[in-house]
Amino acid sequence: MPGVLLSGLALCFCLAACGGFRQQPAPRGAPVASIAVFPLENLSGSAVPLKSIKTSLSEELRQRGLHLLEEDTLERFMAKHRVRYTAGIDEEIAHALKEETGVEGALLTSIELYSEGVVPKIALTSRLVSTGDAPTILWVDGVGMAGDDHPGILNLGLINDSRVFLRKALGMIGESLASRMARKEGRRGTAKAERKFRPRIAYRSDLEGEQKYTVAVAPFFNKSDRKNAGDVLVLQFVRALHGLGNFEVIEPGLVRKAFLNMRIIMDEGVSLEDAQALFAVLGADLVLGGEVLDYQDYQGPVGVAKVNFTVQLIERKNRMVVWSSESYNQGDDGVFFFDWGKVNTAHAMAIQMADSIGGMLVKR
Amino acid sequence: MIDNDGKAIIKCSVASIVHNMRMVHIVLPLLLVLLSLTACGTHGETFRDDKMDFGAIQTVAVMPFVNLTRESTAADRVRDVFINRLLATGALYVLPVGEVARGVTRGEVTMPGVPSPEDIVKLGGILKAQAVITGTVREYGEIRSGSAMANVISLSAQMVETESGRVVWSASSTKGGITTTDRLFGGGGQPMNKITEKAVDELITKLFK
Repeated sequence: MPGVLLSGLALCFCLAACGGFRQQPAPRGAPVASIAVFPLENLSGSAVPLKSIKTSLSEELRQRGLHLLEEDTLERFMAKHRVRYTAGIDEEIAHALKEETGVEGALLTSIELYSEGVVPKIALTSRLVSTGDAPTILWVDGVGMAGDDHPGILNLGLINDSRVFLRKALGMIGESLASRMARKEGRRGTAKAERKFRPRIAYRSDLEGEQKYTVAVAPFFNKSDRKNAGDVLVLQFVRALHGLGNFEVIEPGLVRKAFLNMRIIMDEGVSLEDAQALFAVLGADLVLGGEVLDYQDYQGPVGVAKVNFTVQLIERKNRMVVWSSESYNQGDDGVFFFDWGKVNTAHAMAIQMADSIGGMLVKR
Repeated sequence: MIDNDGKAIIKCSVASIVHNMRMVHIVLPLLLVLLSLTACGTHGETFRDDKMDFGAIQTVAVMPFVNLTRESTAADRVRDVFINRLLATGALYVLPVGEVARGVTRGEVTMPGVPSPEDIVKLGGILKAQAVITGTVREYGEIRSGSAMANVISLSAQMVETESGRVVWSASSTKGGITTTDRLFGGGGQPMNKITEKAVDELITKLFK
């Protein structure tokens, strides 16, 4: 009899442990045991060797001691769940990924620029999103560089070999992710942008500097000649705001799903009605959106990168615009002597512009 | 010359002098009146309805600007600068462009750049705005004269109050162009974004004057 009672009690404990268990979102500081490296998204608008870059990235991460999900396991999972969009994950995919493969993080990477010309160029943004019931962004970082960023004296620092260049770029991403995994740093921190990247016109109202806000970054309206420029700016702002302690950025895959489920079609920008729906569905305090008017890179060693966008931030509390700004910069702004200080990629310029706006948002 | 002809000549000369003086007395005042009219004409670029209580306007909607230039994105660029500058004054709240677009769709406004008074009244109800601002970009881009070139912008704007669809303010501004320095030394003039901001600033100054 006591044996039966003990067994019954043990069973009850097990059931209590299993039943009603609710997956909590991964705490920011917790290390991620294994990662699924999703296929890369191509936002460059031109042909990019995505598979070989993904293979190189996976090798870099393995060399740094990260445990990755096997390629064929991931492919089977994606085929089973008909995953076609690889630049973001929603709750359903995140939950299934955790349940079926056991990985605790999904690495999502987007290539914004890739050129193997005389002066190789690359720009990419990567983020690690937790799996389970509430996908959250655990880490985000990016790289935007050109082979002639630091040519040095007699062009001795010029990088012409595209393979060496790619290895260097992926190495930086791997290093940043490995540091995050080792819990050396949770966030990138507020990068101090140069003054020249501050918005030319800005309006700010009623945004408390100390309070923590949940922000959904809506797709930017693309009025430039560059394909996918709107999506690129979204990633820049996700990266910039995630680096600040005041903002909890909602995973863009969840925002995308909300747009699709609610059949929101943006006509020139986010309306107050759309913002209200996003506040309700995503639990956001702020919705950030905008327009891209220029997003230009250039091929080769001669040219000027150009970025021009407007940003608006709508607040849930009173459904009003609490931030509006216009930013435009060229790569040779403030450059007078021998291209010293010139920014050679639109990515590198855009992230500084986004960082600048982030810094002004939290400033009291 | 003193002879019949001379006397006649002198008489004619005196008569002509007297005639000329009369002409001067008539023509000179006319010229002065004309000059003063032209001086008044320079203030005719801005219209402001004195009966309108501008203090009652708290929220405005800025409609898509009409583009009369060859640059396809000119109207969007100028509109963005205008909205941000107007918001930055803190004097008015400007609705987000997405909200204005929603209002245009809801109100079935067929020509958002040039809405009719009925459209304006409808928009006022949908958007809860006391006024609507429309604009036209007449020139935007590079102009050349010989070997000199520079950027130029010319735009105009109107404010229409939404209760009656009446125009209560209108103004225009032109900035940039080829200066003497550009002609002599070249240089290409000021960047497009700079002169756009200057033109918009001038319009907004005229709005709040």
